[in-house]
Amino acid sequence: MKALIVIALLGVVTMMSEVFRFKKLLLPLVVVGLLAACGLAIGDWNTAIRYYSDMVYFDNYSLAFTSLIIVLTLLWLIISKGYFVSDSSRAEHATLILFTLCGGVIMTAYSDLSMFFVGLEILSISLYVLASSNKHDLKSNEAGMKYFLMGSFATGFLLFGMALIYGAAASFNLVKIAEYVQTTAAHGQTPMFVYTGVLLMMVGLMFKVSAAPFHFWAPDVYEGAPTLITAFMATVVKTAAFAAFYRLFSTCFGDISGFWAQTLAVISAVTMLTGNILAVSQTSLKRMLAYSSIAHAGYMLMAIVAMNKISGGAIFLYATAYSLGSLGAFACLHAISKYGDESIENLKGFAADNKIWAGLLGVIVLSLAGIPPVAGFFAKYYIFYGVFQSNFTWLVLVAILSSLIGVYYYFRIIITMVQPRSEKATVLPALTGAHKALLLISALLALGIGIYPAFLQGLLS
Amino acid sequence: MVQFAWLIPMFPLLGFLLIGLLNKRLPVSLSGGIATLMVFLSFIVSAVIFGEVAQDGSVPERVVLFDWISVGDLSIPFSFLIDRLSVIMLMVVTGVGSLIHLYSIGYMHHEQDHPRYFSYLNLFVFFMLLLVLGSNYIVMFVGWEGVGLCSYLLIGFWFKNIDYSNAAKKAFIMNRIGDLGLLLGVFLIYTTFGSVGFREVFESARNFPENSEAITAICLLLFVGAMGKSAQIPLYTWLPDAMAGPTPVSALIHAATMVTAGIYMVVRSNVLYVLSPDASEIVAFVGLATAFFAATIGLKQNDIKKVLAYSTVSQLGYMFVALGVGAYQTALFHVITHAFFKALLFLGAGSVIHAMSGEQDIRRMGGLKKALPITHATFLIGTLAIAGLPPFAGFFSKDEILAKVWEHSPVMFIVLAVTSVLTAVYMLRLYWLTFYGDFRGTENQKHHLHESPATMTMPLVVLAILSTVGGFIGMPEVFHAPHFLNEFLAPVIWKVNHHEASETFEYMLMGISVVLLLLIMFATYNTYVTKKVMPEENDKDLQGFAKLVANKYYVDEIYEAVITKPLNGISSFVYKYIDQGFIDKLVNGTGTSLTGFSGVLRFVQTGNIGGYIFSMVIGIIVILVLTMIL
Amino acid sequence: MVLLSTPVDYLPIAMMFVVAIGFVLFVMFATHWMGPKHKSKVKLEAFECGIESKGNSRLPFSIKYFLIAILFVLFDVEVIFMYPWAVNFAEWSKHGLAAFGEMLVFLGLLVFGLIYIIRKGALKWE
Repeated sequence: MKALIVIALLGVVTMMSEVFRFKKLLLPLVVVGLLAACGLAIGDWNTAIRYYSDMVYFDNYSLAFTSLIIVLTLLWLIISKGYFVSDSSRAEHATLILFTLCGGVIMTAYSDLSMFFVGLEILSISLYVLASSNKHDLKSNEAGMKYFLMGSFATGFLLFGMALIYGAAASFNLVKIAEYVQTTAAHGQTPMFVYTGVLLMMVGLMFKVSAAPFHFWAPDVYEGAPTLITAFMATVVKTAAFAAFYRLFSTCFGDISGFWAQTLAVISAVTMLTGNILAVSQTSLKRMLAYSSIAHAGYMLMAIVAMNKISGGAIFLYATAYSLGSLGAFACLHAISKYGDESIENLKGFAADNKIWAGLLGVIVLSLAGIPPVAGFFAKYYIFYGVFQSNFTWLVLVAILSSLIGVYYYFRIIITMVQPRSEKATVLPALTGAHKALLLISALLALGIGIYPAFLQGLLS
Repeated sequence: MVQFAWLIPMFPLLGFLLIGLLNKRLPVSLSGGIATLMVFLSFIVSAVIFGEVAQDGSVPERVVLFDWISVGDLSIPFSFLIDRLSVIMLMVVTGVGSLIHLYSIGYMHHEQDHPRYFSYLNLFVFFMLLLVLGSNYIVMFVGWEGVGLCSYLLIGFWFKNIDYSNAAKKAFIMNRIGDLGLLLGVFLIYTTFGSVGFREVFESARNFPENSEAITAICLLLFVGAMGKSAQIPLYTWLPDAMAGPTPVSALIHAATMVTAGIYMVVRSNVLYVLSPDASEIVAFVGLATAFFAATIGLKQNDIKKVLAYSTVSQLGYMFVALGVGAYQTALFHVITHAFFKALLFLGAGSVIHAMSGEQDIRRMGGLKKALPITHATFLIGTLAIAGLPPFAGFFSKDEILAKVWEHSPVMFIVLAVTSVLTAVYMLRLYWLTFYGDFRGTENQKHHLHESPATMTMPLVVLAILSTVGGFIGMPEVFHAPHFLNEFLAPVIWKVNHHEASETFEYMLMGISVVLLLLIMFATYNTYVTKKVMPEENDKDLQGFAKLVANKYYVDEIYEAVITKPLNGISSFVYKYIDQGFIDKLVNGTGTSLTGFSGVLRFVQTGNIGGYIFSMVIGIIVILVLTMIL
Repeated sequence: MVLLSTPVDYLPIAMMFVVAIGFVLFVMFATHWMGPKHKSKVKLEAFECGIESKGNSRLPFSIKYFLIAILFVLFDVEVIFMYPWAVNFAEWSKHGLAAFGEMLVFLGLLVFGLIYIIRKGALKWE
């Protein structure tokens, strides 16, 4: 809770930095504030307090995810310095990022559907603006508009679902809903419209995490939005959305999982196949990463399908591994796309010029592809293991198959990287210190988690 | 202090990282110093822990570093086991290790690639310590694989020489065959006992009946691993070839430490082997065969390092015989003494080679006694120790093995006794030919002859002292002196089959072996120094058995014909027809069709919001209809 | 209250939907088809208030109007939160001034927002 307050106040303060003219302090302020928030979140470990008549509930689950998204934001800030130093609307950007984060924290910690909705909207509305924050770029405007239109459409379903659940349980409180679902399920008396409500909420959430067939917005928005914002969306926002998704379903609807798990399993399979297959034919690195993030959403959905005692830890580990990998990959993309061309061909000759950094990028890509001994492999392993335990063997098979497809395009990055530079290419991939730092940190963390995955996995098991 | 056990492997790892990462940026003279210092620091920590365990540590202590793998019921902590067995091995590894590191500074003086050499060497020590310290089979396996890797890297240190690279590959592949056995053994342990921790496995094993199939299978599989690492028939041929590496490497890895890992593993698993007399019998038999055959091959080798290599194989065979007859302490006793005198012999050989500007053929040596006084004196001690002259270390351990084998089976005893005669013969032949007689090398070499620098002679002297007094930790029973080692190891060995050998027999054994040894000394001196009988210049001149032995029983050729050639044939067939013809087409076909499919599918992504929302709505309807109605 | 229901229970509702939609469609088509049609230029002209229409109805006007309108709506809506607070204030104030403080925090945040828009010049008309 303290972390949430700090982040929200930090948002207000950064907003004021524009009008009270202390914009130079912006970046240090944000960094210090976020560090403090992270420290406060970690300090609350094992406390599990319910605040404000059980509106939010900071248990270990939410504290772990809160710390994770704060840390990810901090890492993200490394490459986003330019965005906060030179840009004319930098104060607004900082504010919006912080409010997005604020929404994210609420989404990990809500204990009431109304809070969930508030958190989701704080997060989404800030993101709509951020997606179109490159005002002079038509594509960015288009991305924001598309995201907004489709997002509000999906939110409608989510609200409809909530209304139906409220109609049945007569409460927004997760605990009360869980009690209600449990008692009615035990007597086989769950009304039809509860099921409908669950499905509609699932649809709304699946839009947010970009699961097929609700993923169409993702490639366009990811491509149109400024690269840094895309990186933020693909990591922090996605992690928060999954935290909310898992929290809702594991707390409330575990007792009727027989009803929705099969559907979700199919959707998860379709999602990972769609993401991986479509990523194969992309020529733009950014778009490829967008599809890859769709595929990863499919894997994370598997943890919700499995819904057993290791799933919480597994989804946390996966979100961490995936976000670190994505941040590293986006750092590289950001470096090579400085001149406006995001084609994967620009990576040619990258390895020859930057041996060490190419190696680190290699580690990151291996982690995303799920090759041992890097973090991604163990993340996948725990997820698959959980699903296997819950008797969805076919889903594990599909997941492994689709991972193989994933290896195909991830390795394309590595292969392109080691090829000699093409004659025509005028763009030289240039890494600044910030990119190098982020590459190094994420690669080292990916390796570290790969060596000792049980730590993160065990936090929530 | 036991809690600080993690420091022991940490130092060499630190050294490896430091030297490996800084590499060429490090001043040339510094890398050797850092490496030696790191191992020496480990040695100090080991010594302190050894002292503590010797005082009151009859209870094994487990130091858990972190939870490493935990899946379902399987939980494998990354933890160390500090008991009397591991501390002894710690002392040997770090002690001999630091001496050899020190020696390397002098020996590798002329080399370009200092940092690479020392970083590998430190990495080796790190893995060896993991192997020794691990409290379960998995951590031990990590060390096991790691030392194999380092051995490969160091044998192929001069990788520009294609023969050396091939020797490295050979060592690695042979070891892999063994490792497969070990790995299967570990799997079987897990399925049988539900755990891979030493403590848990041995505790539940004690309830098993003798010679149960599972335990025999486990023992045999583990022994396959030991065969690879400790160079036993049929997987021994890599060890002589491994002499391609720098001589200190041969001393450290291929004589003193790594090759004894197999023995360590069997001693560690003594509970299992005690429960499986059948498997133990096989171990004893394989060890005996190896000891004998390797000793005969050693008779006709002319490369100073090759002789020592075959002698190592033979001595390892000795140790396995001891393990096979249930004399685990004795085997470990021989591991320790062997580590001292074999490291000494190898380092002495290194010193000779150093003086001879890289010449390794004993037919080109002779009369080096004057030029290399310290090397000569220490080499003599090593030779006497391995030949088994009292009071040098080898005498005690070898005699103990012989005595234990006599109790087990007189036939085995006779073969082993003949082997020990052969050992004395080839070692003394090596000694006389190298240090006595006239110098047979070129003029150039003669001018260049010089005693090695202090960094090299100092380890020689220390090891010589150890080879002299090392045997006193295990005095024969007939002397009524305390057998320190047996008492020390008592808590870690489950069942000791303790037959009192008759005193007369023991005295007879000692007497006969000493007399025999003196006879052999005289005979070989007569042959090689007085009569100046030289080994044939060309192997083709040899006839009959000698030819067979000089060519190492054609084992390499047989392996080549029986295994390598057919394998290559099958492999090229599979490559051409199955891999290229079928699998490649299948894989490439999948890739091509996937790309094509993906290319078609991407047109769904039109960029039109109306279309997107339409497909979303269709999706929602499909989900609702399917879930609600079906 | 038994909330047990099956898809079959919704059949009357579905039937009602069908009947309702069917009726509307029927009436629309029927009137269209049955009624008399007289097409002339005057009849097809857009009807406003009897005066002849001139020019385009889609006139551009300043974006600032929207900005101010939306800001007004924003602050207007926030005031709604004060109603339930005011209703309960008498009860809460018995337990100390916490409720008052909370409202101050809320209003404080609003004031920050107001300062921001003023300093950003969002309310300047020129």
